Amino acid sequence: MTPRGTEFRETMLGRVRLGDEERERPVRLDLVVRADVVLLPHRTTPARVTGRVRIAGRADDAEAVGELEISPLARRRIRYRISFVMEGRRLELDGWKSISAGRPLASMTVLPYTLHEDGERVGEGTLRFPLATGLLPFLASFRFPGAAEWHLAPRWDGDPGRTEVWYTTLTDPVTGSGVWLHHELVAPTDGSGAYAHGWAAVFPKDGPAEHARFGPVPWTEHGPGFTTEDVHALPGRLDGSAGPFTWSLTETPHGGPVHTFPRWSWRRPWLPASHMLPAARCEYSGTVRYGDSELRLDGAAGASARIYGHGNARRWAWLHADLGGGDVLEIVAAVSMRRGLDRLPPLVFLRLLRDGRAWPRRAERTAVGWAGLGRFRAHLGLPEWRVTGRAGLRRIKVTVTQPPRRTLTLDYTDPDGSPAVCRNSETADAVVTLERWWGSWREEATWRLSGTAHAEVGDR
Amino acid sequence: MTRSGPTALTALAAALLADDGTTEWTRAVPRRVETLLDAMPAPARTAIRGAATAIDAYAVARTGRRLRALGFAEREHVMASLAAHRALLPLLDAVKVPVLLAAGTERNLRQGSAPPLPAPDDPPLDCTPSCGWPTRSTADAVVVGSGAGGAMAARTLARAGLRVVIVEEGEHHTTASFGRRTPLDRFTDLYRDGGATIALGNPPLVLPVGRAVGGTTVVNSGTCYRTPDHVVTRWLDRYGFEVAEGFDAHLDEVERTLRVARQPLDVLGDNGRLALAGAKELGWTAAPLRRNAPGCRGSCQCVVGCPTGAKQSVQLSVLPEACAAGAAIMTGARVLRILTDPDRPGGPRAAGVVVGRPDGTELEILSPLVVVAAGALQTPQLLRRSGLGGHPRTGRNLSVHPALSVAGRFSRPVTGWKGVLQSVGVEELHSDGILIEATAAPPGMSSFVLPGVGRELRREIEGTDHLATLGAMVADRPSGRVLGRERTLLRYDLAPRDARRLLRAQRAMGRLLFAAGAAEVLTGVPHAPRARDLGQLDALLDTVTARHLHVSAFHPTGTAAAGTDPERSPADPEGRLRGVHGVLIADGSVLPGCPEVNPQLSIMAAALGIAQRVVTRL
Repeated sequence: MTPRGTEFRETMLGRVRLGDEERERPVRLDLVVRADVVLLPHRTTPARVTGRVRIAGRADDAEAVGELEISPLARRRIRYRISFVMEGRRLELDGWKSISAGRPLASMTVLPYTLHEDGERVGEGTLRFPLATGLLPFLASFRFPGAAEWHLAPRWDGDPGRTEVWYTTLTDPVTGSGVWLHHELVAPTDGSGAYAHGWAAVFPKDGPAEHARFGPVPWTEHGPGFTTEDVHALPGRLDGSAGPFTWSLTETPHGGPVHTFPRWSWRRPWLPASHMLPAARCEYSGTVRYGDSELRLDGAAGASARIYGHGNARRWAWLHADLGGGDVLEIVAAVSMRRGLDRLPPLVFLRLLRDGRAWPRRAERTAVGWAGLGRFRAHLGLPEWRVTGRAGLRRIKVTVTQPPRRTLTLDYTDPDGSPAVCRNSETADAVVTLERWWGSWREEATWRLSGTAHAEVGDR
Repeated sequence: MTRSGPTALTALAAALLADDGTTEWTRAVPRRVETLLDAMPAPARTAIRGAATAIDAYAVARTGRRLRALGFAEREHVMASLAAHRALLPLLDAVKVPVLLAAGTERNLRQGSAPPLPAPDDPPLDCTPSCGWPTRSTADAVVVGSGAGGAMAARTLARAGLRVVIVEEGEHHTTASFGRRTPLDRFTDLYRDGGATIALGNPPLVLPVGRAVGGTTVVNSGTCYRTPDHVVTRWLDRYGFEVAEGFDAHLDEVERTLRVARQPLDVLGDNGRLALAGAKELGWTAAPLRRNAPGCRGSCQCVVGCPTGAKQSVQLSVLPEACAAGAAIMTGARVLRILTDPDRPGGPRAAGVVVGRPDGTELEILSPLVVVAAGALQTPQLLRRSGLGGHPRTGRNLSVHPALSVAGRFSRPVTGWKGVLQSVGVEELHSDGILIEATAAPPGMSSFVLPGVGRELRREIEGTDHLATLGAMVADRPSGRVLGRERTLLRYDLAPRDARRLLRAQRAMGRLLFAAGAAEVLTGVPHAPRARDLGQLDALLDTVTARHLHVSAFHPTGTAAAGTDPERSPADPEGRLRGVHGVLIADGSVLPGCPEVNPQLSIMAAALGIAQRVVTRL
């Protein structure tokens, strides 16, 4: 069973009477609640809270943090402890809903609380969950994401003809350089011993890219991630050496996992392959040395991704674009090697994470549309490739440019020994245009990434 | 309320007091009776009004007219014929109690009571009414009740550095406020149910308990007996009450805190002196009591709040020290239930309390430690309301230390209300479980039910300054139980041994009074009210059984007793409630049995021991 967490959003409105004034002020809490386990009402679930606390005229802290104790049945209590800043003072909001079987609605929605500063009471008030306007968004916000650590564990179960990949791409905000760490496990189709190999590559801002391979070495380890004698890709940590390259990085995940392919395809490997990100965004700190050069990273943005399947596609393209503000665009467009499927145009799997929500809601939507109608389209090529598509009232156009000077060409080998060629750039450019239908198509957002997009195109 | 209720009661009060319109004080009695009844719980109020209506109906049956329509002589006749029915005497006594209290107060007011003595400033307390307390708060320990046990536990925990909140249902009354009001007015404020807490049984018991910051220590007599050695030994050996180990040291500490000393003779009063004289005549062991009232000025108002601040009730002694150590007191706050977290590792654990404010709203305090010190009558109910009263012995094992009083009429004025209220202890029969204490009543508030009706009763009231009063308490078997969850509901079936002890105590008190020179002894028994010599008393009392007695009790204990036997004791030997972590019992209910003396020191020492054991584990 996949260990899953819980994530939901809650907004509460109310009033506060601060100790230093007579009148009451309106208060608003916009919270994002994350728990490491699935929320079960009869259990007690501890959770972390981030969000925004607003006290009219006095406080507006978008970086409030705290914790929740959710126990509506066992302890009949949902307790909120949130720390926020008001006029330079750090205050602690401490309150709880006291659940009563006799007054289920009132007791589940009313949150009396007290404000403390250094343990001293400085105010009190009551917040209410606005049922009429808040219930549907609250219920719709519930997510049960799997834990990032779990997704890093090896999937390979000993079957021949499988390939499994852990790869990390990031951009150093100081130098503009891109880094690509690729860790691969290959179980050959002929049943010979599985081996681990990979490479590290650095893409200086103006090119050219440098890389070095490690392995192959026999796959022996069964740890929580990719592990060989010299190279490790484990939860929260990446280190290793390959030729002139040595690297040692810490990884801090942000956000839940993103399944580029349908979520079920990761749990049940019925598709030729599946691709996913254990965390939508990660920050990396540490060093990457190559030759005489060194990158010192401090909070570099990027992501780690996972692939598990039978091998590489016939043709494919991939994009990871950190759009800023927590928004992420992930695209895989591929033509399968399987007979029959290889005649289809590229199937596009596109996930746009915007304001914490994924668009389109189902990953299948972009690949197959409605029985093929309305599917997203990809025009693969180099140095430029494009993806366009429409779902619901929105349409997107993505143009990726991989200048040859900033692109690294590497040979891949499938489990059956057949070769493929990958052209990768961690300093690619991309333009993403999102439009919404308001009687006519109106631009909703445009992102232009210059040298910070991570992309590749592969073929045979 | 029906119209006939107050009207019948007004007429009855006039009839009982033989109100012939010649004195002013009798006219004000009905209104004061009404005020008194309003403070009583509904069942008691209804019973008294019902009795008044029944007597009114008796008058109609007898004369064709209601009591209020009768003339003075006819009224006297009706009352005399009513009093001639022996079976109706208990009914008559039930309505006489509030009328006598009101009559005493009004008469005292008209006679011009002494001006109030200047009251000293009380030591500061950190009191906050519940309406000013935040709806959500946290503490390291919540102490339910601010009486003897709660105050001591709170002080111990606060001194250990815990953030302590004391939750008290009653209000905070200052020493100065006591001097400004009549004893009866204070009585209805300071006691739960207006002092009319009744234990059902045969005979029924009146069991008044205090409700204020300071609990019953505000309204007790200040008598401070150390727990007798044989009781401590029994608690240790028979029940395994570990807190009783080193009890002497705890008692010493409590005595130091309360400044306990033997009552000097100067303000002892005639009531006490007569008891000493009687005991001396008989060769019985007797002495002024040890009390926590240094500088007592003999105002005889202990049981309605000491107006001079001499009596070191816990709100003047222990609670100020607790507040100085950081404890806070919430007043006007009834704990509705204890919160528990049932899913904690290791079993259910206390999480705090839900508190009801007077306006019906609720507040909650989260705390990992809850000390229940709500009193032996309230603690079991609170545990039941909280789902923690599942132990079959919770609420059982109730000892009350039943008491009765006997008055002696002397030829010279005694004026019992000038002197110490409870002044002298006669311990001659203490080894047999009988403790006699000379106990007077506050001005105008004689609790002794005077005999007779009409003119006879009026004469008795006007002669109360010639009465000396003794009280006796008997060490009883735990034959009572606390029922219910919300309202005080008690059942107490006097054990035959204890009934015999009461009768023996009554006889002994009569003997003592005669030895002191009493011309007449009033037994308090409706059908055998007075005896003029010892022989007559013996003959009278031969006709008396315990059912005929007016029994009261002031020392309920044992309803959540501690002990080693998990089958018999709801609390473990260290006073921790079984079945849940973090709930301590630290009031009279934790005592395994009757302490056989006034229990304030015993309760405080036990609370100190229980809290200290927790502190050492922190």
